[in-house]
Amino acid sequence: MMVTLHALAIADITVKSPTGPAWEFLVLFLVVIVGPPLLENARLPGIIGLLLGGYVIGPHGLNLIGAGNTTVPELGQLGLLYLMFVAGVELDIGLVRVHRRAVVLFGLAAFGFPMLFGSAVGFSMSWSAPAAILLGSLMASHTLLVYPTVREVGLAAHRAVATAVGATVLTDTASLVVLAFVSGSQLEGGSLASIALQVVLGLVLLGVFCFVALPRLVLLGFRVLGTDRVVRYLLAVASFLAAAAFAASFGIEGIVGAFFAGLGLNRLVPNEGPLMERIDFFGSAVFVPIFLVSVGMLLQPRVMVQAETLKLAALFILASIGGKVVATFSSKRGLHLSTKETVLMLGLTMPQAAATLAATVIGFNIGLFDQSVVNAVLVLILVSIVAATLIVERVKTEVPVPMSGHQGLGNRVLVALEEPGQAQAAFAIGASIAARDGGIVRGLLASLPAEKRVREASLKDLRRVGFAIGVDVDPTLMVGSSFAEGVVNAAAQLEPSFVIVGQRGGTDPAFGGPGESIAASIPSPVAIMIGEAARIRQVLLVHAHESSNDDPYDSVGISAELASRVGGKSVTVVSPGLAADLTPGQLCIAPAPSLDALAGSDPPSGAALLVVLEPPAPPPPGGDRWLVSLREARI
Amino acid sequence: MLGALLVAGCSDRTTSPAAGTFTPRTAGVLTVVTSDIPSPGFWEGTPAAVTGGFEYELARRLAKRFGLRSVQVRTEHFNRIVEGRLDGADLALDLITPTSERERSLDFSYPYLNSAPTVVVRAGTAIPDLATAQNLRWGVVRGTTFVGIVNTLVGPDHPPRVYDDTAELVTALEDRQIDAVLLDMPLAVVTANRSHGRLTAAAQLPDAEMIAAAMPKGSGNQEAVDSAMRAFIADGTIDHLLRVWVGPTAANAETSIPLLQTTR
Repeated sequence: MMVTLHALAIADITVKSPTGPAWEFLVLFLVVIVGPPLLENARLPGIIGLLLGGYVIGPHGLNLIGAGNTTVPELGQLGLLYLMFVAGVELDIGLVRVHRRAVVLFGLAAFGFPMLFGSAVGFSMSWSAPAAILLGSLMASHTLLVYPTVREVGLAAHRAVATAVGATVLTDTASLVVLAFVSGSQLEGGSLASIALQVVLGLVLLGVFCFVALPRLVLLGFRVLGTDRVVRYLLAVASFLAAAAFAASFGIEGIVGAFFAGLGLNRLVPNEGPLMERIDFFGSAVFVPIFLVSVGMLLQPRVMVQAETLKLAALFILASIGGKVVATFSSKRGLHLSTKETVLMLGLTMPQAAATLAATVIGFNIGLFDQSVVNAVLVLILVSIVAATLIVERVKTEVPVPMSGHQGLGNRVLVALEEPGQAQAAFAIGASIAARDGGIVRGLLASLPAEKRVREASLKDLRRVGFAIGVDVDPTLMVGSSFAEGVVNAAAQLEPSFVIVGQRGGTDPAFGGPGESIAASIPSPVAIMIGEAARIRQVLLVHAHESSNDDPYDSVGISAELASRVGGKSVTVVSPGLAADLTPGQLCIAPAPSLDALAGSDPPSGAALLVVLEPPAPPPPGGDRWLVSLREARI
Repeated sequence: MLGALLVAGCSDRTTSPAAGTFTPRTAGVLTVVTSDIPSPGFWEGTPAAVTGGFEYELARRLAKRFGLRSVQVRTEHFNRIVEGRLDGADLALDLITPTSERERSLDFSYPYLNSAPTVVVRAGTAIPDLATAQNLRWGVVRGTTFVGIVNTLVGPDHPPRVYDDTAELVTALEDRQIDAVLLDMPLAVVTANRSHGRLTAAAQLPDAEMIAAAMPKGSGNQEAVDSAMRAFIADGTIDHLLRVWVGPTAANAETSIPLLQTTR
């Protein structure tokens, strides 16, 4: 159908039908604005609104954006790379480490069964081997589309949820590796051996580029150029484009590079950090919707309702959802999950969206799939999303919320400073602690009401200090007469995993000062930093004799963990007596029980002391750590 | 597993039902229609014995992908082809641009070339601006979209002369009956390259046109041909054929031939 506004001429006034880039972008953005809310009002996922909107404005719909248009498909390609980068960068790699056995077990099943079933469907229809295998791989991936719903009800730390999230790293990586081989095999010319060598070499070099070189280059970029947040965002965008271009130069699809770049930068871009916020914002506002709209332009209801397409769609649904059902229920016993927990895991891993769509579009572009396959996959995507949403909505309230356990020490590090001079060392320590968990560091500067103007000017310096270390500490000013009260309030809001309290030395001893008040009032572990060290060259860990047990979360265990994170393998264990004689460049980490020997001794200029206080006892069963703690706050 | 994937991937590059099914009119044979043989770079040889060319080789690749054993070539006047009279052929390969008028009688494949209309002149003729272009005597082939393009974009002082085929058009240019002709860029490049320095591709006009295979209206083969064209673009077949038959300069023509700013 063609909609044309004919030129309307009245006297000398001529009104023409709108054309050109402005008109195309207007139409595109109207779909992005209107499509998702319309579908969400009908209790359907917004993604469907974008796909349907793409159809409406596309060549098979109103033809507002015609078949010859290159702008939207090219922007869609950028959106596809963006989507895969975001999928990699926001995966919680920490969960893979924590639940590695369950993740590997379930990841293999969640990839293997749909891959097997999907390929079998392809072969059963006499498809060529590359087409059948690509079909299997696109069913083997999944998108954590309903994860936010699960996270909202406090199930993020549940073992079933964590396993499903961790398994996504495996399933999506494996699917994209299969895609790389299939698309590589379609290159013109070359022997089997040369193509194999090219793809394997390409994947190895891509891995080195994305997991070794890129994080270092980006970190360097953050430090040297990253004082501007726009530049930090552009560095992230440039990094996935570089990885995509690198992959393409070896005949590997760009989305593999973009996804690997996301995984490589996973720790440099914490999920809760300002950079991730920007990446998410631009992704969800522009790039990803445009990709989805460009896919919607491929929709052909005429093809979709054909018997052949519906037959294909039914087989795809059977293979994909059936594969995920077999994968989850075959893992149930091995993972010691209840039926409801297993169903929750199924709901999480059922939606087919990002990687599936990406692989399908690539299969279409390289001539392996025709319109009917694309339309059948779109039906599969629609059904899988709706079914997963219904399943998760039903079971999410029936699965018990896990008791808050010890979260990763570095998930959210709060650095509260009385003096800006301590920022260099405190932020560096905070960044080292956060790095292992891919966490964030937040800066807080105390100010008396009378000092507000002066201290506000210091915030810019604090931000610069953070950027020079490679982290965006997003410092805020805490105006009030009580430093301790301010930190407790901020902690109640941020729920940090660890707090570093920069405390004036000399007149403020480690004990009896604000740090101790804070530690007694919040559930997070707290360390008091005394002194200033522009550069930490050596980390000393004070050996404590009084550790009551082997709890890794008492002050002794936390001290050892901090020393390992800040100093790496070159940590020197010293006795409390020796720690009193610090030299410039040394950071001494001491658990509270060893403080008797240190009390009253300030480190010399250029050295710092980090005293780890005893964390509070775990909450009663079913109790919320933060609520319990705030009720008992005693400042 | 990766090894198995590669073996499977490389073992079969012919089409599969996943990419559409091609049913030829004559079993085992791909029948293709075009207008001019020879057409430099695109159809070499004679109608009875085609020896090569970009579109002929493209037809052979299509036949191979569809599992057909041979290609049979027919000729028909361009005007009749774009009116939908394919003389019983499965498809037409003749540098055809899809237009809404032609879509009434033909189905078009996914485009295999994107080509700007390119001006070919005798060596020594410069076209620095639109005014110079308007002073020239223009020639075009009957039934092509170039008739409208010359009138709309250039607006010459004299109406363009219309010729029956490309060979006649180029001869008229060489014989100084006309000063400038409009051709698809690859054809313009190969025409200039083979003129022994007598002709040159002097300028390109804005708004590149798509070039696609034409099929009889309602053909059930469109999905298969679409998938094949996408595959040939993705795997480098189209680029390879262009380099071999049109010449290495074809790849850079888009950037090396100056753009003529037109009235639009």
